[in-house]
Amino acid sequence: MTDNEHKQMHSRRRFIRNAGTLALAAPLIAHAAQGTGEGVTFAGGERPLVRFPKKRKLILVHSRPPHLETPFSIFNEGVITANDAFYVRYHLANLPTSIDLADYRLNIRGAVKKPLSLSLDELKSIVEQVEVVAVNQCSGNSRGYSSPRVFGAQLSHGAMGNARWMGVPLKAVLEKVGVLSDAKQVVFNGLDKPVQPTTPDFHKSLDIEHALSPEPLLAWGMNGEDLPFLNGYPLKLIVPGYFGTYWVKHLSDIVVLDHVYKGHDAYFMNKAYRIPDNDCMCVAPGTQADKTRPISTLPVRSFITSVMAGGQMPVNRRVELKGIAFDSGEGLKSVDVSIDGGRTWRAAKLSASLGRFSFQEWKLDISFKQIGRTALMVRASNRAGEIQPLKADWNPGGYRRHAVETTPVTII
Amino acid sequence: MQSTKTVRSILAFCLIFFTASSSSFAAPKQIILPPETAKLPKSELAGYQLATQKCMICHSVDYIFYQPPGMNQAQWTAEVAKMKHSYGAALSETDIKSIGAYLAVVYGTAEITDSEVLAASAISLAKADSKPQTQELLTSNGCMGCHAIDKKMLGPSFKDIAAKYKQELQAQNMLVTSMQKGGVGKWGEIPMPPMANLNAEQAKRLAAFILEQ
Repeated sequence: MTDNEHKQMHSRRRFIRNAGTLALAAPLIAHAAQGTGEGVTFAGGERPLVRFPKKRKLILVHSRPPHLETPFSIFNEGVITANDAFYVRYHLANLPTSIDLADYRLNIRGAVKKPLSLSLDELKSIVEQVEVVAVNQCSGNSRGYSSPRVFGAQLSHGAMGNARWMGVPLKAVLEKVGVLSDAKQVVFNGLDKPVQPTTPDFHKSLDIEHALSPEPLLAWGMNGEDLPFLNGYPLKLIVPGYFGTYWVKHLSDIVVLDHVYKGHDAYFMNKAYRIPDNDCMCVAPGTQADKTRPISTLPVRSFITSVMAGGQMPVNRRVELKGIAFDSGEGLKSVDVSIDGGRTWRAAKLSASLGRFSFQEWKLDISFKQIGRTALMVRASNRAGEIQPLKADWNPGGYRRHAVETTPVTII
Repeated sequence: MQSTKTVRSILAFCLIFFTASSSSFAAPKQIILPPETAKLPKSELAGYQLATQKCMICHSVDYIFYQPPGMNQAQWTAEVAKMKHSYGAALSETDIKSIGAYLAVVYGTAEITDSEVLAASAISLAKADSKPQTQELLTSNGCMGCHAIDKKMLGPSFKDIAAKYKQELQAQNMLVTSMQKGGVGKWGEIPMPPMANLNAEQAKRLAAFILEQ
């Protein structure tokens, strides 16, 4: 166990202890008044909790292809999201349900000197294995809060997770095959396929400079275990700091191109997962963007995890507020908390970091002086000068929500 | 004591051996996904049967349940059009209008008595009454998205279906039932949606066509 993990364990114990002292006035830390939608409304009623292979009960977004959201209370269990609680998102319903490592190959070809076809064991021994703790957040996380609403998965805040990924750097593998000097992009494909041939396959591309940077990883390990099947077993592309759309599951093909990827199967780069091509990556609500570009890095975000919307907290007693913050790897600068709906702010304390791409825990001891309803808010900034806006902006895809979130609570 | 030690080291050796080579000898990793139970709400509108048949080719209909409330007919119709234009769904322009109207009634702001809803739904009813050729039926019902005459695609080839059932007395009726009610498990885990938009005569004609292959 690393030092950080020790600290996490320790802080978890302390949290449990604090919760114990509060238990006298039960049910002080009440569960959210809302259901699995956490305030998001749906055309056809509440989303059920469902059980899928190797997963605890998660929120159903849709069943075929599988799409499951992590209930938000799970983010209070620690900065690492457990494998069986990690969200699941597929685009195409012709997905593999059986994978035999004896047959599995990762093919690397295209504008390279020496194409390779590797078994997982061969890939594991190609260079030294590395680890990174990184957040995978869906581009549409929190889409359900878009105003006006937009079609698409109506996610609350649970389409994200933070894990320790183990694999080899993509760069090292590309160096083995020898990328040709005119290479422009690298395309990634997994074993999931469309149901109909007229539907585009799910391919994603990275610019060659990004693919050859130290960050992207070809990972088989997640929190010390094999990847769960539904998170991309046996191999997943990890793109730290980038939205989950690039993290291709069941990765089977890497193709180096001497041009920018286009065509039918470039749909998820060239038509979908695009944001307005301007500074705010936003447009006036309800309007279209003239020009768009592929979504890329994670904006700075923060959440309160120790109390859910609709929860209750005690008056005149020391309470520890706790939560998480993250960004694209620039490094968090500050996390500020307001317990009066944004009128006043106080600095929270950041716990030790598991790395610049990880969720980072924040804590603040507080004592509520008044009973009644109030709004808790948390706001993070990073070292690149980004700060969460108080008011959410809007884009047609409902992507990249990053405004300060409000947690209404009652002080009793 | 010595022998215990030896046994221990043999065990340790085996453990290391199996761990080191576990990935090459391991059985295939498999998952069984929970059965798909979501069904669209029934309606007299033509779009109900069309949606049940065509949306369910590519995705479960809970995809639709959990869209935002309060969308109007134009918005729902645009979303259905996206399924054709972006995702290549086998939908005609009249299917799109009809499904859009139905979804706007059951999940949006439209009422079943709206003239726009009736207009959008009437078009495809009129079309369903005409007598399309077998080839047209295969295309308009999206059959060829999942099946081919002589090779396995997502579903079995028509030749394989013919070979499996040809000898059975009730083969044609069986295929008619499979088409009209859908099914799963006979050929694999990906379900075939019910082709509820086919009338009995059309389904019989298609079944005969398949059995001739």
